[in-house]
Amino acid sequence: MNTGPAIAVKGLTKDFRIGLRGLKLRAVDNVSFEIPRGQVFGLLGPNGCGKSTTLKIILGLVSPTAGEVSILGFPFATTAARSRTGFLPEAPYFHKFLSGRELVAYCARLSGVKPESVNQAVEEALALTAMTEAGDRTIGTYSKGMLQRIGLAQAIVHDPELVILDEPTAGVDPVGSAAIGQMIKAMKSKGKTIVLCSHLLGQVEQVCDRIAIMDRGKLVLEGRVDDVLTRRDQNIITVENLSPEARRAAEEALAQHGAKITSVTHPRRSLDDLFRELVTGSRDA
Amino acid sequence: MKSLRVQWILAIFCLGLAGVIAELSWTKVRVSIPEMGRKQIEPSLGQGMLLGILGGFRTVVADGAWIRSYVLWERRDRAGCEALMRTSCLLDPRARFFWENTGYVIGYDMAHWEIRKRGGYAKVSPEIQDDLFKKYAQQGIRVMEEGVKYTGGNVGILISAGQMSELKLKDFSLAASYYKRASESKNAPWFVHFLCARALWESGQTKKAYDWYRDVWQKKLSKEDDYAPDDLEHLRYMEDQLNLTLLQRIPRQSWEKKN
Amino acid sequence: MKSSLTRISWMTRLTFLEAIRQRFFAFLILLSAALVLSSVSFRFLDFGHGELKFVCDFGFGGMFLFGSVLAVVMSAQLFFAEMDNRTALTLLAKPVSRTEFLVGKFIGVWLVLGVFIFTLSTLLAIILWARCQELTAAAIEVGKAPPELSIKGLFSYTGMQWARLGVVAAMILMVASLARTFLFTVIVGSMLVVAGQLQWLAQETLLKPGDLNFFSKALLSISTYIIPNLQQFNIGDALTLDHGSVADGAVTLALFSGTCYIVVFIFIGSLIFRQREI
Repeated sequence: MNTGPAIAVKGLTKDFRIGLRGLKLRAVDNVSFEIPRGQVFGLLGPNGCGKSTTLKIILGLVSPTAGEVSILGFPFATTAARSRTGFLPEAPYFHKFLSGRELVAYCARLSGVKPESVNQAVEEALALTAMTEAGDRTIGTYSKGMLQRIGLAQAIVHDPELVILDEPTAGVDPVGSAAIGQMIKAMKSKGKTIVLCSHLLGQVEQVCDRIAIMDRGKLVLEGRVDDVLTRRDQNIITVENLSPEARRAAEEALAQHGAKITSVTHPRRSLDDLFRELVTGSRDA
Repeated sequence: MKSLRVQWILAIFCLGLAGVIAELSWTKVRVSIPEMGRKQIEPSLGQGMLLGILGGFRTVVADGAWIRSYVLWERRDRAGCEALMRTSCLLDPRARFFWENTGYVIGYDMAHWEIRKRGGYAKVSPEIQDDLFKKYAQQGIRVMEEGVKYTGGNVGILISAGQMSELKLKDFSLAASYYKRASESKNAPWFVHFLCARALWESGQTKKAYDWYRDVWQKKLSKEDDYAPDDLEHLRYMEDQLNLTLLQRIPRQSWEKKN
Repeated sequence: MKSSLTRISWMTRLTFLEAIRQRFFAFLILLSAALVLSSVSFRFLDFGHGELKFVCDFGFGGMFLFGSVLAVVMSAQLFFAEMDNRTALTLLAKPVSRTEFLVGKFIGVWLVLGVFIFTLSTLLAIILWARCQELTAAAIEVGKAPPELSIKGLFSYTGMQWARLGVVAAMILMVASLARTFLFTVIVGSMLVVAGQLQWLAQETLLKPGDLNFFSKALLSISTYIIPNLQQFNIGDALTLDHGSVADGAVTLALFSGTCYIVVFIFIGSLIFRQREI
């Protein structure tokens, strides 16, 4: 059994030619990272930072200028890699005349689910995304949240090892967002690797195990959420009955004065704060 | 990359091969489509008949062009009228009507338009008038010849060409040749044999006219239900004119009235 | 191979369902049917062509004109709908190759064109047969030869038109693989269809080159290979009304030629599409 990373990106670069003079726009600049299996990985960045391009390269929709990508040990953009991957695009659009069930069944067939297993796979996917009851309605009657959930269902119907979600909660109300967060956790508990692109940093902080932040095509930070968010240059001392003297004097003094230090921890900043520190600004501004 | 280059080379090769097969197919198919060349299509360009040339609604577009040509006929617009009429012929080359009437209009009408354009019958000398009548009659006959080719030897067009040769060119030999072709056709009308014989007679080939007419009567016409008495009557006239002996004449028929 | 065919069949199914629901398709098929039915009323415009030929012409004209419009617009629209709505993102992220995507699209469109063509043909066949019966009875009464009509020939012609529309659809998808917009595809595609219908002029010129210079001959030669001669499928009159004038094997060879062009255009389209960034 292959235990290598779910996604391995090495030296990925993508240049786009623009205009008649063929000027190059470097959308992704020598990006390297690995996503271990069975984790939820958050890929973050302001608009125009190259994260969507990176995702598209991983999915084989765009070819890189340089670099290597492997998906679950297989070369990217191959049938073997894509059959093990599920993808929910940003602002998904599906054929309105299909019912939810028909769409998921159609995607199951395209993804190689055996004909005899299709019905069961469809029902499981609909159940996981709480779309069983609405499954027979046409997609044209779905709300935004339902559209996202049916999109998720079509992404996981073939039980992929890797699921890539691009802005799964965009335009969804807080209740719906929370529900999607639960679904992500449920998928993780089944051993799937999830790559999550989102601007909802609060949610990312809650569900993701690892994150990577991109800015202007470069990878500026990558690591475990706890590690990147914890400020190790500072300590939090929690004391009982502490007087305002210095720490050492305070410790002795505290000891002399009968006070006791019960824990020493490091302060933690929020992901929002960290994001704003590192990123210079959205390209949309 | 190398594999992609190879695939492109293969694609271009297959495109060439498809072109070769299409060429072979066209040579087989074109016998079923009346022959149309660049020259024939030129008059139709600019007449708004592209739809017909492309392949749709040919008959309808041909009819439309013909009706439009009537308007130009009223205005005596020689070039426009001829272009539209030729377009109709081009779009429906198997229809007798267009060829025959195009020939008629060119052969019988256009000379008069030209004379009027040059100042009228009083101003244009008789010699020039004759030349014009001949010129346009020849053009009309050429159109009808083309029509005969495309319609597979339509009898009506042959007879019309013969008539035009007689009336406008005064060329009875030429007229006779057209009538003869008509008489040899599968569905020749009953009167065409007499027309041929008469044209030959008028051209001065009297004996030839009689011999030919007699041959046709004996081999074909006499076998009809009524024995073609009118034709026999014409033959008797010819025999009298040629002063043929009794032995040289067609034997008297039992049903023939005595003079 | 089997899984590839399965994916193609599902892509075809979805494309067909999407296409057949479109109002544009319904509009065109109703318009064409109305045209065919109205041919019976316009019989007075017959300048001696023969009434059956006149009626045939309406039907063949409808198949040609509206069929071409449908092939061009529908092929382009179904392709760009996937691109613009980004459903192509979802589909191509699955184990569906670009070639399978294009082939599935093509077969779906071709099937819709088949429905269009065969519906019109059936209607035309009924009208022609009914009128032929009347004309035959009238001809026998006056001792004239009855009109010729071959329903089998009519449906052979229908098959040829279906092949022609297949070539058009494949050509449009090839252009769409390269183009960025629907409008560009429709305009270029329409020009190619017109060029294809006039291609016979180039071939006829090459058969009798006359005073053409080398450069002109070379240019014409190249064009005869690149642009398919769509006029080779246009022998409806001969097949339906004068079967004897059709050479043996002409229909088979034309159908084979059409199939070759379809395969080549889809192949070239897939080579272009593989390099396209979605």
